[in-house]
Formats: sequence, C-alpha cells, structure tokens
Amino acid sequence: MSKILKLEKSKLDGLIQFLNKRYELFGPKEINGQIEFARINPGDELRLDFLNTVKSPKDIFFAQTQPILHYKDNSVKEPALKHKPVAIFALHPCDAQAMKVLDKVFTQGKYLDPYWDGRYRDSLIFSIGCNTPATTCFCNCTGLGPFSKAGADIFLTDIGDSLILEACSEKGIYFFKIAEDVAWKEPDDDDLKKAEQIKEAAQLLLSEKFQAQDIKSILEKSWDNPVWDEISNRCLSCGLCSYLCPTCHCFDIQDEKLPGTEQGVRIRIWDSCMFSLFTREASGHNPRPSIAARFRQRVMHKFNYLIDDFGVLGCVGCGRCVQRCPVNVDIREILKGFLNGKG
Amino acid sequence: MFRKETMEMIEQELRAKVKALLKEGKVKLVLGYQKGSLPFNATPTIVEDEASAERLIFDFSCGPGLAKYLLRKNIHSPGQKTGIIAKGCDARAVIQYIAEKQLRREDIVIIGVPCQGVIDPNRVRKKIPDKEIVGYAIDGDKFIIRLRDDSVVSLNREEVIARACLRCVYPDALDADIFITQPRKDVEHVNRYNEIMEFEKMGSDERWNYFENEFSRCIRCYACRNACPMCYCEECFVDKTDPQWFGKGTGLSDTMLFHIVRILHVTGRCLDCGLCERVCPMSIDLGLLNGKMNKEVKERFNYIPGLDPERPPALATFDEGDRQEFIL
Repeated sequence: MSKILKLEKSKLDGLIQFLNKRYELFGPKEINGQIEFARINPGDELRLDFLNTVKSPKDIFFAQTQPILHYKDNSVKEPALKHKPVAIFALHPCDAQAMKVLDKVFTQGKYLDPYWDGRYRDSLIFSIGCNTPATTCFCNCTGLGPFSKAGADIFLTDIGDSLILEACSEKGIYFFKIAEDVAWKEPDDDDLKKAEQIKEAAQLLLSEKFQAQDIKSILEKSWDNPVWDEISNRCLSCGLCSYLCPTCHCFDIQDEKLPGTEQGVRIRIWDSCMFSLFTREASGHNPRPSIAARFRQRVMHKFNYLIDDFGVLGCVGCGRCVQRCPVNVDIREILKGFLNGKG
Repeated sequence: MFRKETMEMIEQELRAKVKALLKEGKVKLVLGYQKGSLPFNATPTIVEDEASAERLIFDFSCGPGLAKYLLRKNIHSPGQKTGIIAKGCDARAVIQYIAEKQLRREDIVIIGVPCQGVIDPNRVRKKIPDKEIVGYAIDGDKFIIRLRDDSVVSLNREEVIARACLRCVYPDALDADIFITQPRKDVEHVNRYNEIMEFEKMGSDERWNYFENEFSRCIRCYACRNACPMCYCEECFVDKTDPQWFGKGTGLSDTMLFHIVRILHVTGRCLDCGLCERVCPMSIDLGLLNGKMNKEVKERFNYIPGLDPERPPALATFDEGDRQEFIL
C-alpha cells in the first residue's frame, strides 16, 4: 500500500464512518457560530476551511476538569483509564506540534501522567496543511510552518475537490492498511503538483520573519527588564491566553466534598500562571505578587524554561492569544521587541 | 450616519490637548489608546510626556476599558492628577468609582471623546467567517471591511458595532473636564431594553435553558471579571480559599454559580459597557443577563449607575419607598 493516497471529498464520508467505528473521533465543526474541535458523529458537517479554532484541542487529552479519584468514607476509587482510541481529524500543524510539546511534559519528565499518556499514545492524528494561515499566525517563527508534518500520523492536503493523504508514522501506515475499504485513489502527478503549489502559496501568506528560538538567550538576561512593567500596565491578568493556548498545561488539584458527607471527588483542573492565586502560598505570601511577575513567568516558561527542561519551544505560533487578548497584548510584538534590543 | 469629523481632526485635537495638560503640569499621566496590532484592536497606553502623546489615537478600535486602570496603585494614587481619555462608559465608570469612594473627583481629569461606538471584532468575524480581515474604512454609514485578498465587504453599523454600544444612551462622557471636538448629543432614543423585553416573554424553563446553554461553554478564564470595570474586589469571592467558597471545575453548576454571583455583585453597579461579552472567547451572552438586572434596578429603584457621584449604588442603600411587595 502506498504511503501517499488521494480521497475525493465526496467520498470523505466513507473515511469518517470507518474512523467513527474504531475511534472516538474528533474534528472541526461549527458550534454556536464558532468552529471548535468536537466529537464527530455520522452526518455532522466537517469544516476543513477554518482559519483557527477559538479553543485549542488540547482538552481532548487534557480535560479542563479531570476526576482523578472518588472517595466515600474510608474507600477510594480511581476512575478506570480504559478508553476507545482517539482520532483527531484535520488538526492544524501548530496544534499537532502542541500535542507533542504536551506529551513531553506529561510523559518525559519526572512523573508520568496517566490521563494523558495512554490516550495520546494510542491516538491517530490527521493534520491538515493550512492553505490560508491567519494574519495572526506565526508558526514559521516557531520552527514549524503551515505544512509542518510534526506530530502527524497522517498529513492531509486540501487540493479542492480532493484530499491528499500522506502517512507520516508507523501508525499512519498501519491505518492505510486496515482502512482498505475506503475509496482511496492514487494521486497523479498533477495532484501532487497542485499540493506543492498550495503549500508554497500558504507559506507566502506568513509575514513574520523572526525566530522565536533566538529569544532564549536574551530572556536569560531580561529578568529585570522594564518591559515587563510596561506590558503589565495593560495586561488584565486574566487566563484567556493560557486557556486558549494549545501548550499551556499548568493545573491545580482540588478536593470537592459533598457538604455534610464524607464523600467527594478529587479533580485535576486547568490553572493559569496569570492568576494571582496560582502561586499564593498557605501563609498568604505570594512569590509572584504582581502582574509583571506573572506575565514574565508565562513568557519565560514558553520561550526559556521549556527549552531547558524538555528541549522544546513552548509556543507553536497559533496566534490564539494574539487574536483574543482583550487588551491586544501581542506576544509577537513582545518577542520582536526583545530581538530588536528593547531587552 | 457617522459624524463628519475625520479621525485626523479628533486625533490632532486629542494630542494637542493632552500635550497641553502635561506641559502645564495639570496631570502626571494620561490613560489613552494607541494603535494596536490588529485592525479592530487598539491597545491601552500610558502617556507621561508630550512626545508620547503623539501615539494617542481615538477611533472605532478603542474597545478596551480604561477606567479600571485608575484603581491600580502603580498607575494612580490619591493626590495624583491623572487624565483619562473617556468614552461615555469610561466616564460613567469614573463617576461610579467616586460614588463608591474608590476615587476622588479632583484627582481625575476626564477627557471626553466623541464616541460613536466601538467595533466588536467577534461580531464582524461571525459575519465574515474564515476570511482574514486586514483593515476597514468608513464610507457614509457603512463599514468597508478589507479582506486579505483585497476584496471588500460592506457592512452596516449595526453589524459591526458592539451590541452594548448600539443600545447606549450615554455615549458622551458625563462631567468631562475637556471634550475633544464636540459631544454627540444626537443619541437616538433607542429603547435599550427591547431585547430584554423579548427575553422576558419566554417561560422560566426556556430562560433557564438558554442560560444553561450559554454558561455550559464557559472555560473560567475570568476575562469577563477582569475586564469588568465594576469587578474590582481585591479578592474575588471565587478566589477565596480559606474556606473555599466555590468549586473550580467546569461543571455546569459551578460555572453558573460563578456567573450568577458575579452578576448579582455588579447588579445596580453595572454600566452596560458590554466589555464582559466582548472579551468572552466563548461568545457567552453576558450582556443579556446583565441587561435584565439593570432593567430590574431601573424599574425598582429608579437607579442607573454611573450618573451621580453623590448617590450610592442602589443595592448598597435602603429607602423606605423601595418596593418590597415580595415581603409578605
């Protein structure tokens, strides 16, 4: 079986039905007027033309609220970790890379995260090239690009009436073998040429030129830079950027007891370094007492510490924070400021 | 129809007047807007010297609220003279802060600007989905939205301007010390409660279901709270840890309870500036619930927040004449 196949969009239903039988299938669809990654059921309309989803799809593997144990009197019960394997259809390359970043954090460090590990490892990721990256996108500055295959098992290119599918991993090759009933076709030279042209045109749409990896050495010397104060004078210190970000992964653990009983649940929930509560200690002391200190942490974590700890950049250039920040704090401007010697 | 003054006229006068204030030592700094990185998003800025005043702008992209920055001790402190470029809602926030004893009137220089509403980027995005917007221009009473492929889409004011601005009846900064160009004074007397009256016709189950659906999308980023000029508690109830008051998960009962309590806390203080719903990444209809509460306060206590610095918030005071038919 070939490593590169073609599927006419009119035959896409066959692939979706096949995926639905074997996997818990997620894909981009319209919910309340916004495109989001959600469960795809037979008959759902897949939206392959989206610029970017508002929320990142990280919650497919890293739930915002994850029960980790239930307790009652003296007994404790952990939820079963069994699951149907997940398939995600039409993930943008930035989000596919973000999952690789999260995988490092949750599986390569001191501790193995059981909620992430199994589900991600068993998943099948279909990335799709971004034919029209948004003006807020800067994946070319984070070592990727609108057609980066990082993190993809199967890479899709939308050439109009058909999709070109390329297996990029063992899992992808295996999938082509088992999904032999799907109405695949062999792409011809014209199809491949078209795919190449689309890729080249997409790359031209990205206007930013800086390289985010160059910022680490500057950040290491920028702890006391007044720029943190300037940013913090605007920043609202909300968690919007962290919660839309595909790589932010900090969490909190809470016990929620039913009042008047000895019964409850321990949950793992998303948290954000932008909240003052994030670092407030039991004594009341807060080592990051200001918005400036918190904002600095967020930038340092992504562009400095994660490189030390896991050898990866903590930003994939998806631009969600840029697009949605209530006060237009634009990470691209901040990074360029450092590179241009404001730091 | 939009006002005839060009943006250049507004900006020229704005910059000149701010420079004069700084030069004459009448203010230490001025809170204003500078051009942002996206066509619909200006970003707040602090101007402390005449040269920096050159970056000040005022146009339809000036959506962020500025008043709340006055409550940050590193920006403004009692005794310091601080200027604020004020849309109607920003000025009302200042007045409400004075009523709530958070600011002293004599410390603040209110610089009114002729606000014709601000753009709600989410509304435009939904109108022109999955197209990249690179700019806009005004033509008569239309917004001409320019797309990346150089094509244009013409949208009506009603399709672009934030919902709260469309029903705003106080666009001119009240009690302004300086006004840039002329106040609008031409506000159409829209019934700001039209949408709410439609909503009230629904049955209680239907209304509850509507808000359940809205709040089920909440991701608890607290952008609504942090953007809200009236949410300025030093420690928010939802951040209380000893004891903890609220569940922090995204279960519906926790998210709904957070929003209901927050809205109760701003009831009678909410300025209907619409920031909460504009900043919400999940497009939750916060304006409707706030609007309903504002209407209740108006009808019960004849109180509209942000108009009178001498009058305490409706729910922080008691009057024998208050309606109390709910007490048996």
